[in-house]
Amino acid sequence: MNIEDVFSSRLRMKILKILVRVGELNVSEIARRLNVNYVTTSEHLKVLEDEGILLHKMFGRIRLYRLNEPSPKAKAVQNIIDTWEHANKH
Amino acid sequence: MAQYRSVFKDETKLDINYVPYNLPHRELELRLLMEFFSFMLQSPEKMAQRVMVTGDVGTGKTVLSQCFGANVTSGASKRGINVRYIHVNCREYRGSLFLILQHTVSVFHPNFPRRGYSAEELLRTLTQILDEENAYIILTLDEFESLVDREGSEAVYKLTRLQELRQNKPQRLSLICILRNLKAIEKLDASTRSTLQSNIIRLEKYSKQQLIDILANRVSLAFKPLAVPEDAVSLIAELAFSEGGNARFGIELLWRAGKYANAENSETVMPECVRKAVSSIIPIMRKSDLALLGFHEKLFLLSIARIFKESQKACVSLTEAEQTYAVVSEEFGISPISHTQLWKYLRNLSALGIVKAEVSTGVSRGRSTAIYLLGIPAQELEKELMNLLEKKLA
Repeated sequence: MNIEDVFSSRLRMKILKILVRVGELNVSEIARRLNVNYVTTSEHLKVLEDEGILLHKMFGRIRLYRLNEPSPKAKAVQNIIDTWEHANKH
Repeated sequence: MAQYRSVFKDETKLDINYVPYNLPHRELELRLLMEFFSFMLQSPEKMAQRVMVTGDVGTGKTVLSQCFGANVTSGASKRGINVRYIHVNCREYRGSLFLILQHTVSVFHPNFPRRGYSAEELLRTLTQILDEENAYIILTLDEFESLVDREGSEAVYKLTRLQELRQNKPQRLSLICILRNLKAIEKLDASTRSTLQSNIIRLEKYSKQQLIDILANRVSLAFKPLAVPEDAVSLIAELAFSEGGNARFGIELLWRAGKYANAENSETVMPECVRKAVSSIIPIMRKSDLALLGFHEKLFLLSIARIFKESQKACVSLTEAEQTYAVVSEEFGISPISHTQLWKYLRNLSALGIVKAEVSTGVSRGRSTAIYLLGIPAQELEKELMNLLEKKLA
């Protein structure tokens, strides 16, 4: 997927911001924070995972998502969000 | 303006959560605990251990276990073994296996969801996490009575027999159960009990001399040189000894006496500061007991405190306490709970030694319950409870 397609979605950007901030969350909690339904959230998570930016772990029925830290794309995302939020604070 | 002077050099060394590097008069028990878990530093996957630590309030059960936890994790880390020591106060989690396991899982995954699965699923999740991280945990269940009371044999059985469901896999979960005495586990069925009772460390009450040594050790860590004279330490030890050899009480008193000395701008903690401190103190074990009570339990105890504060009676009836509780509930804008639940609360408060409940069969009809307030001034108790309730409501 092209970079403009990945980052063109407001929800995907919000998911990335949430995960950069809190580290790791399950799908329902991400959906709750985004105020959208489970299916929509899962679809966006899948896009980000297919791009190698996120990864998930299953614990029984619980699916926990987090940034795929070793991936250069995830590092770039983390950097841009951190830089952006830091600049906005000062 | 006079310059602020303090007798303390580091008062955090007197905090209830401070874990000292060495434990005067518990060296043997600490070595024994290390011995029970020595396999953790060699081949942790080959076995799991269960140890029970018993002793009265203030005999050092919690600190012994925490000190051991710090030693064993640092020893394991030097050898490249991933051992985690997790200390859980069961009463803080209302004796619920689910909540205890949730806390344990949250050590590894802080945002793990809080609902939507069972305790069994959580236990499976925990083993999965431990397998994936190649980690071993020593789970300390402090105030173990609480778990036994609420969950009975089933929960303890699940924890102790975890390995049977995963034959030929590394053993990941060891337990330390801390309780005041072994009576509590009589409620467990024989097979569950037998899984626990092989290693028991009993902590005897501290003698006055031992309390002096413990206090002197804390004085050297927390106070400036010569700030606490020997006779003040001796007086605190005497008072702590009369509280059942309760070192925690002594340390709390030491801190409070230091505060009185500071308030008087004195360079030393004189015995008079100790006397002032003791007259104002609610023993710390009762204070921590109060903090852990449920919301309605606090309201009920507040009702009892208020009756004693208003009257000069030696005891009050459960009926009177219930009536005042109804008024207090109204004051807090909530519906009162049932008589049966209040009766359970009364039994718990009695078990904690905050009140004493006596059922008497009078000459007239029926039975009545008399409630006595033990050793805590009603006014102090009311103040403490109001603080806690206001904090909760805020």
